[in-house]
Amino acid sequence: MTSALITFYGKTDGSSTTGDFSLDSPILHSTVTYVRIPKGMKAKVWCKRISGEVATDVIISYTDDVTASSPTWKELSHERLASPGELILEKRRPVVILGRTGKEAFKVSWSQPSAGNAYVEIEVELTDE
Amino acid sequence: MGRLLREGEYLVVYIPPTSKALVFRVRAVYNKYHDMPYGPLPLTSGTTLPTYDGGTTNVPADGVLPARSYTYSGITFPYSGAYDSNDMWYLPKDYRERVFHVIQHVVPEFVRIDVQVPNGIEQARFQRDKVMLGVPRDFGFTRGEIEMIHLPELRVGYRYGNDTNMDVKTFVKFTYAEYVIEVPEDPKEVMDVLLGKVERYWFTYPVSAYVTAIEEALKKTYGYDGFRVPTKYEPELIEEYSKLIREVREVFKG
Repeated sequence: MTSALITFYGKTDGSSTTGDFSLDSPILHSTVTYVRIPKGMKAKVWCKRISGEVATDVIISYTDDVTASSPTWKELSHERLASPGELILEKRRPVVILGRTGKEAFKVSWSQPSAGNAYVEIEVELTDE
Repeated sequence: MGRLLREGEYLVVYIPPTSKALVFRVRAVYNKYHDMPYGPLPLTSGTTLPTYDGGTTNVPADGVLPARSYTYSGITFPYSGAYDSNDMWYLPKDYRERVFHVIQHVVPEFVRIDVQVPNGIEQARFQRDKVMLGVPRDFGFTRGEIEMIHLPELRVGYRYGNDTNMDVKTFVKFTYAEYVIEVPEDPKEVMDVLLGKVERYWFTYPVSAYVTAIEEALKKTYGYDGFRVPTKYEPELIEEYSKLIREVREVFKG
């Protein structure tokens, strides 16, 4: 069984009401705006921690083909931080995205009624089980 | 994944292309602390690697496996002070009483791994030699962990692939044992080990092509390239084993 547990971290830019998080992690040399899932593996999003100075929606979307010139992103998970503070969501049943072709990917986005600083951490397992 | 052996256990290294096997008894295990946190993969900043998308990319920093890249040539592990400081698992034939049993763990665990024996020869193949496999292709590799027996005179190369879009910092831990081995004296004992009548650890050597370099390495090191593996008790093989054992023991005496 192969299993890699990765913590990704991202923050809003503080000036845009919508956008995609640049995701960073201790194992990454440079940030990414999406994560491509190896063929035959699954991405399991086990946990989301959201904090912010303003109300913030955090959306996980996936695409079947990230290599397309304009990938089609479909919403898969939507969490709402209703007011300044933090929201911790530990998922006993994770959000699962299967890599069937090796071109699937997911991204994490934000949406805010008024722009402000907000932060997200997600725990993602890349596994073949 | 495999396990390391203890003193007294038998190790069988089966070589599929010849249907022969090396049979060893572990006399001693050097270094009881088997974990070696090696560090990042020996990838040097600026090295050009091929990508799964058809182009090339450069290693952005030491030990980083770039997004969508793989190593086309096998990598060896440098270690200062080792017999070969560029390949810590390599030993010459004079070390014939030694065998390294190495389980390699790579972080992040989704990294693809395969092995070349000898280094430079792709050994994962499909339908004889119809399709070459391994890290650059869809299958013929493992992820995150690989087990290998390192025999003297054979230089082994490991290849790695990252089919995600992330430039990842890598880390390697080896769980290994340095066995002091001997070849059993009794041909019947060899037969029993090969037939599974006594407990043994069976390792299928990851080779599909029995290239000359492998045969030469085995013959230089042990004086033979393995015992023919019986499917049932075959008394006629006893004499053959007996002759091989005499020759091997002469080689070990030096």
